[in-house]
Amino acid sequence: MPKLVGVFDQPLRVANAVERLQGRGYTDLEVYSPVPSHELDRAVDKKPSRVRIFTLIGGLTGVVTGYAMTIWMANDWQIMLGGKPFASIPPYTIIAFELTILFGGLLTALGLFAVAKLPKFRLDPVYSARFSAEDFGLVVECRERDVAEIEALLRDHGATEIDLVDA
Amino acid sequence: MTPPPPPPPAASVAAMIRPAPSLPDSKVNRDLLRVMEGTSLGYWLLVLVAGGFMLLAGGIWIYQVYKGLGIAGYVHPVFWGAYIVTFVFWVGIAHAGTLISAILYLFRAKWRNAINRSAEAMTVFAVLTAAQFLGIHVGRIWKSYFILPYPNQRGLWVNFKSPLLWDTFAISTYATISIVFLYVGLIPDLAIARDRASGWRRVLYAILSLGWQGTSREWKSHNRTVLHLSGLATPLVLSVHSVVSWDFAMSIVPGWHATIFGPYFVAGAIFSGFAMVLTMMIPVRRIFGLEEYITNYHFENMSRFILLTSIIVGYAYVAEYFIAYYSAVEHEQSAFWLRAFGPYWISTWVMILCNAGFPQLLWFKKLRTNVPFLFVLSVLINIGMWFERYVIIITGLSREYNTSAWGVYTPSWPELGIVAGSFGFFCFLFLLFLKLFPVVAIAEVKEIAIHEKEHKGEEWNHAHTYGELH
Repeated sequence: MPKLVGVFDQPLRVANAVERLQGRGYTDLEVYSPVPSHELDRAVDKKPSRVRIFTLIGGLTGVVTGYAMTIWMANDWQIMLGGKPFASIPPYTIIAFELTILFGGLLTALGLFAVAKLPKFRLDPVYSARFSAEDFGLVVECRERDVAEIEALLRDHGATEIDLVDA
Repeated sequence: MTPPPPPPPAASVAAMIRPAPSLPDSKVNRDLLRVMEGTSLGYWLLVLVAGGFMLLAGGIWIYQVYKGLGIAGYVHPVFWGAYIVTFVFWVGIAHAGTLISAILYLFRAKWRNAINRSAEAMTVFAVLTAAQFLGIHVGRIWKSYFILPYPNQRGLWVNFKSPLLWDTFAISTYATISIVFLYVGLIPDLAIARDRASGWRRVLYAILSLGWQGTSREWKSHNRTVLHLSGLATPLVLSVHSVVSWDFAMSIVPGWHATIFGPYFVAGAIFSGFAMVLTMMIPVRRIFGLEEYITNYHFENMSRFILLTSIIVGYAYVAEYFIAYYSAVEHEQSAFWLRAFGPYWISTWVMILCNAGFPQLLWFKKLRTNVPFLFVLSVLINIGMWFERYVIIITGLSREYNTSAWGVYTPSWPELGIVAGSFGFFCFLFLLFLKLFPVVAIAEVKEIAIHEKEHKGEEWNHAHTYGELH
């Protein structure tokens, strides 16, 4: 199937083009952007990123590990102090807090790799160094007969350059 | 939404905006990647000096391992000396990076974009420097695993009620999270470098950038990750120096035993961290000609932070004296009298002048925007903050309850050598970082540039430039 690569210089134009294309039923899109752009994020995918699940799981694992480790260790070698309980929760809260952050942070990073599908060992053929300069790329994979329509649509939305790649 | 311009013939527009379409690039990329190119004689000289101090400290440390902690200037009852002072100092320095990249990120303070990378790198290097002092301070380095939750020969676990152990967890969490934060932020910039580098650098950046292409899927996850890491790092950065302060505040040593220590230490840490960012970035900006990206506006904003935290620190100095007076506890009062007029009076007055006195000059806008003045002031603050920890730790210990057990500690030359070496280590890592990684966050600076381009000639739309919490 042929691929159309539209090059843009402003993220808002790409976002508009993406929304229009999606509205017309072209969902096989890929966007390359040199900068983070919330407009683009929202245009391509309305749902919030799944990274948040990873943070939640990491944080919960951390807090449970923190308390479990400290309480278990206090009871594994019991030190009697004035008949008080072996485990003392307030200081252990500090350990639990630190481990919440540690596990939460590490799993968030892992979430980035999992959700963004990194590492990637081969760059996409349509990717080029211009997309890490100041150009935005919108790649549409479509049937032969839709090429003209999409090309017009991209141009309508301010594409500065349009390439046709046969894949 | 942007009204699309009349559709021009694509090829001619492309030719207009890009005279050489074979090598598309942006000014931001060129300017900021240039920092990593080429090494002058001056650079190697600095590396040599920093590396020399580092090696000197390494040599002294080996000597200390051989001879034992006796070579430190410890005098009964002072067994926490320059090593712990310097440890607390470097942990404090480490606070600016996370403050800039996490807290200012959450507050959507866009000016952080130009300085966050260098501050984050300094955070990582400062934590690494600080962490070494735990090993140096315990003397018998081969026993330092005792601070980890690993049972000793008799199956005894570590004491989780000890602030020193909380510190272990806080510092190691902080080191890990700040490394993750730095690396995650670097990935898009490493891809930029990968696309433009050649030779071994291309291989290095290709591996480290993990095949980043800036697809919307990648950016979306990246934005989310940075948001969550900021959310996690914000309470972390506030907790780390609070926990360090509890190393002291949880004891009953006069001068240490104060509930004000948490906020007092955190404010001091931010204060010294910003000062260190100024100390390092003022020369870097000048040497690499980054005036366009790191402007006086950034320095002025940082000096506002310095002024604010200086006032908090100054308030804490006063409050400590008031608490001593108001408590009517003789030992507390004597500790604070001796702090200002005892054997360590010089350190105390250096501390007060450098941390609470001189920074007040920043009330004047003329001085806030005077870069040479800021540089001198930031060095003075660094000195003052080292002395603050010296004053707190040494005066407290040397004058405890029992007058017959008083002693006067002076750092020995091996201790001072290792302290000097820690500065060498920090500068050495920072110098390497300058040449290996983009010292200004390229993608984030470009974000502002592209937004400005987009909004030029249009009605200013605040929500677009500053984004929303998403």
